[in-house]
Amino acid sequence: MKDDYLWDKSGQPDPEIQKLEEILGTLRYQPKPLELPEDLPVSRRRNYFPLLAIAASLLLALVAAGIWLRVRNQSAPQPDQAKVSTPSPVEKKPPERISPTPVAPKDVIAVNNKHRHKPVAPALSKREREEALAAKEQLMIALRLTTEKLSLIHRKTQNTTPANQIKNQHRVG
Amino acid sequence: MKALSRIKLTMPLMLLIALPFVVKAQDPRLQLSSLDHLAGKANETVDVNIDERLMKMAAKLFSDKDADEREVKKLIEGLKGVYVKSFEFDSEGQYTAADVETIRSQLRRPGWTRMVNVMSKKDGNCEVYLLFNGDQIGGLAVLVAEDKELTVVNIVGPVDLDKLAQLEGQLGVPELGIEKTKKNNEK
Repeated sequence: MKDDYLWDKSGQPDPEIQKLEEILGTLRYQPKPLELPEDLPVSRRRNYFPLLAIAASLLLALVAAGIWLRVRNQSAPQPDQAKVSTPSPVEKKPPERISPTPVAPKDVIAVNNKHRHKPVAPALSKREREEALAAKEQLMIALRLTTEKLSLIHRKTQNTTPANQIKNQHRVG
Repeated sequence: MKALSRIKLTMPLMLLIALPFVVKAQDPRLQLSSLDHLAGKANETVDVNIDERLMKMAAKLFSDKDADEREVKKLIEGLKGVYVKSFEFDSEGQYTAADVETIRSQLRRPGWTRMVNVMSKKDGNCEVYLLFNGDQIGGLAVLVAEDKELTVVNIVGPVDLDKLAQLEGQLGVPELGIEKTKKNNEK
């Protein structure tokens, strides 16, 4: 007897096998389209959890960075305090006189304090910022002195007689 | 023939040697250190030395929101240095003509042009010099030699004189008392 029927349904079938087929055939797969019940609840909600987690992480990082920058700026010592503590012979003189030291005088520092509290470019290090502040003060003094002198010269040119005033626009070099 | 080729060889070498002197002749930076000895005699001294590096650092601290600071920032843009020496003495004759001459001799170099010269027996001399690089201003020097005061201002770089004039009375720097003191002394 050949077993081809069992293999590919060819050849002579065994009646016992056929009987079994009939019995089990009721349970055979019957292809039919999927039928969903009418009252099945359909949920359109997406899972936003990963997006929310990313957004929360970013927000947390931003807040942390902001706090860190604020603390860093606040913890930096004010350079004007160091300057004020520097002993200067000018302090004994009347306040309207200028400082004999090359650095900005005390009264200049007091007036310029409004500039100190402004936010400073974070690109500068602490030492550089102190240096820059001193340079700024010196620069303001220099510009003030220059404009004063130019103004003085202007007044003199206005007041002097033609005999005293010597040829402007005179090429030296 | 041999001599000619030797000259051809030495000429570029000589030009190379001479180049620094030519450049030096047009240097807008004045050497003010010769006046340092006056600090000991002076009642009040202002000594400002800001080079290009410090200028750039200071420029970062000027706010764009404040109108005065914005003007100053515009003015100092491109400047390569600001150097000031100002001495105020209690009595006359503390500085000599030779001291002034060390500065004035530098201002006789090629490139410098004296724009204003006010000579007064009573009030002393005031001079304003500009250094021209072609049509552009490459530097400014102000020399004020009065009986009890000697001031030299040297600004290196393209100075905008209009902007400088606009700054008068706008800077947030307190009175230094120079003019005030002088007026008081006159009284």
